[in-house]
Amino acid sequence: MAEGTARVLAVEDPEEVEQEAGRSSQIPVVPEGAEWNAVERVMLQRRSIRKYRKAQVPAHLIRRLLEVARFAPSQGNCQPWKFIVVRDPDMIRGMEDFCVGQCRKVSNAFDYATLPAGSLKYRIARIKAKLFGRLQPNVLHPVPVSAVTAIAQGRFAVFHRAPTLILILMDKRGVGIPPVDIGICGTHIVLAARSLGLGTCWVGFSKLLNESREWCERLGVEPPYEVAEAITVGYPVGDTTHMIPRETHEIVWFESGKKQILY
Amino acid sequence: MALLTRQERRHFPDWDDPSQCIFHRVTVDLDKCDGCKLCTLACPANVLEQYGDKGKKKVRVKADARGCISCNNCYAICESGAIQATRHYDFVGYYRRFGRGEFAKPRMF
Repeated sequence: MAEGTARVLAVEDPEEVEQEAGRSSQIPVVPEGAEWNAVERVMLQRRSIRKYRKAQVPAHLIRRLLEVARFAPSQGNCQPWKFIVVRDPDMIRGMEDFCVGQCRKVSNAFDYATLPAGSLKYRIARIKAKLFGRLQPNVLHPVPVSAVTAIAQGRFAVFHRAPTLILILMDKRGVGIPPVDIGICGTHIVLAARSLGLGTCWVGFSKLLNESREWCERLGVEPPYEVAEAITVGYPVGDTTHMIPRETHEIVWFESGKKQILY
Repeated sequence: MALLTRQERRHFPDWDDPSQCIFHRVTVDLDKCDGCKLCTLACPANVLEQYGDKGKKKVRVKADARGCISCNNCYAICESGAIQATRHYDFVGYYRRFGRGEFAKPRMF
């Protein structure tokens, strides 16, 4: 035992390990200013697609996406996900109806911006919004609230009338922070989809389904699993691949004892 | 030291006050816009609409628009390069944003 330990310590320099194994590999060189490679291009051309063609996506492509998802990194390799694929339009419409109903309730209760300013209803909704906003600042954020109202008013579809819906369930007992793993897993799906010419959109509102006993039963969502995210899949309307401008972010960079701010 | 002051942390912006919830409007170049309507389909915030007479249709931001998230999905889908978001949204108080630079297309390093 002690001998083994000593050997491991003796060869802990990774380059030495490579040499000992007789396969000292070269460090790949990518020159400055090189063209985007295939993966980078896919990442830069991915957009959230909210308008789909009616044509169904072949089943083997969905299997392909889920196969890629299976190899996503997760904390402790715990893979806290489970997939439900829904390709029946009636079922998707049913889920849509349920989520629209929930959005109506939230919009009516909180979105004072839709009410006549100064009215009693307005004032009550505003007080509630400010109060609950403090408790749930990410949910009652100005951006999702206007989306909730748009859904409630029928100006926006929850599942975008996509032909295929992938629900990602999360095992709440996952290692560390399981929502992060769900995010990484879904990222595999959406990028692979883009590379196959498919459009996708993350649907966070799918979490509303957890509030429906009927849908949980029908879909087979039971503890310790819960619906964490959904991804709509279909062929996009229009060519959405023009790379877009977006704001840069401050980057704090420490090197050679100096601190720089880059953008 | 926190980036938000104590006062800011307690201030939740009014959703109906554009000076507290600052959503910018996309700019439409009417010379280039051919009124094809694709951007109105791609917009997640539903703030774009088609207008004008048949054959001369254009796209514009709705008068009562709220909630453009500067995602540039409209830019991505536009065949004629007529529409663009150039500034990100921001808020006063609790949701104030930090460390954002200018808009730029993907830069090769």
